[in-house]
Amino acid sequence: MGGPSGTFITVEESHRLLAYEDLATGGSFIVFNNSRSIFQIVKNFTDFFAHESCGFCTPCRVGTSLLQKQLDKIVLGHGSAGDVVELERIAGLLRQYSHCGLGQTAANPVLTTLERYPELYQQQLKKISYEPGFDLDAALQVARQMAGRNDAAAHLQQVEE
Amino acid sequence: MANLTIDGQVVGFEPGQTIMEAATAAGIYIPHLCHKPGYTPHGSCKLCSVKVNGRVCSACTFPAADGQQVISQSAELQQDRRHITQLLFVEGNHFCPSCEKTGQCQLQAVAYELKMHDNHFPQFYPQRALDASHPDIVLDHNRCIFCNLCVRASREKDGKNVFGISGRGIHKHLIVNSESGLLKDTQLTVDDAAAHVCPTGAILIRNTAYHVPIGQRLFDHQPISEVSLEHDHGQ
Ligand code: SF4
Ligand code: SF4
Repeated sequence: MGGPSGTFITVEESHRLLAYEDLATGGSFIVFNNSRSIFQIVKNFTDFFAHESCGFCTPCRVGTSLLQKQLDKIVLGHGSAGDVVELERIAGLLRQYSHCGLGQTAANPVLTTLERYPELYQQQLKKISYEPGFDLDAALQVARQMAGRNDAAAHLQQVEE
Repeated sequence: MANLTIDGQVVGFEPGQTIMEAATAAGIYIPHLCHKPGYTPHGSCKLCSVKVNGRVCSACTFPAADGQQVISQSAELQQDRRHITQLLFVEGNHFCPSCEKTGQCQLQAVAYELKMHDNHFPQFYPQRALDASHPDIVLDHNRCIFCNLCVRASREKDGKNVFGISGRGIHKHLIVNSESGLLKDTQLTVDDAAAHVCPTGAILIRNTAYHVPIGQRLFDHQPISEVSLEHDHGQ
């Protein structure tokens, strides 16, 4: 409701009103059917804001790009226990401290879906306590190619078992 | 004289003053980086965020008003200022132990003041250039936090317009206004305010690096909260 910076609502909330007192909108609303991936929608909107940020103030300039990184980490399956909390932390900084409305609402896609589909985010997390933001083994691919190796010793486990 | 309160302390102010100016005059430190007395306020770093009657505002740009209740030192604000400082660290490349500015750097000193022990957020590791073209001044873009002070200093104090800000979002960057984009082709000299105003180690004067040894530097023995009030009072 209200475009990328608006509110994400579910079918169960279809009784809600389009009004300043309830769901405020500048006139735009988008309807998604169940063939759409919620993560894909959130990611599109989050990428959009990272691209649109003018860069004037610190929270929005860095925050929109960090939010994008952090969301990608979770969506791509590299997230672990603390990563949703981290996502909320970045979103909170954006909302509270950004200079203008763009930054203040840039985290709405994340925040309003997190509120409605917390289990979706949790399911996406790995069952370990910490996962680095990059893929260690994938980072070695170029080195393996150059060395012409692909044996077990040329691969690294991300986390010690 | 009209009054407002900062963390419960009654503070008088002159009409036209900002919350930051009223606080400084009363000996209250509010963390800041893009603000400097005597310069047009910018309000971009957001470190001076305070709560005014429950709303977040930038103290350096927000006008003081009678009866305002300002919260500055709450645990929440201090934690969020620490996070904002961490954002500044991860977006650039700051390796303090090998930086000439260490001990005199306001970014580093603010980080200490806010008890920042790590960068917390993932690093961006941007690829940024070093402009060593000028005989007397070095510009290391890796340490620029876009506070805009050099831009303002060059325009307002030196009447030269040597620096500018360009780009959007995370691609925002400092530019040098010359055909080549290099400092050597500008009118910038070591006597300019713009050459000395940088709060970080982005603009450095050559051959001065270790004149003041580490251990005897500005922030080595005094926190920025004290240094800042002493300096800013004088202006
Ligand atoms: S500019 Fe300041 S914070 Fe950055 S590396 Fe130098 S001393 Fe550290
Ligand atoms: S070079 Fe220094 S003074 Fe200029 S914008 Fe960057 S941090 Fe600020």
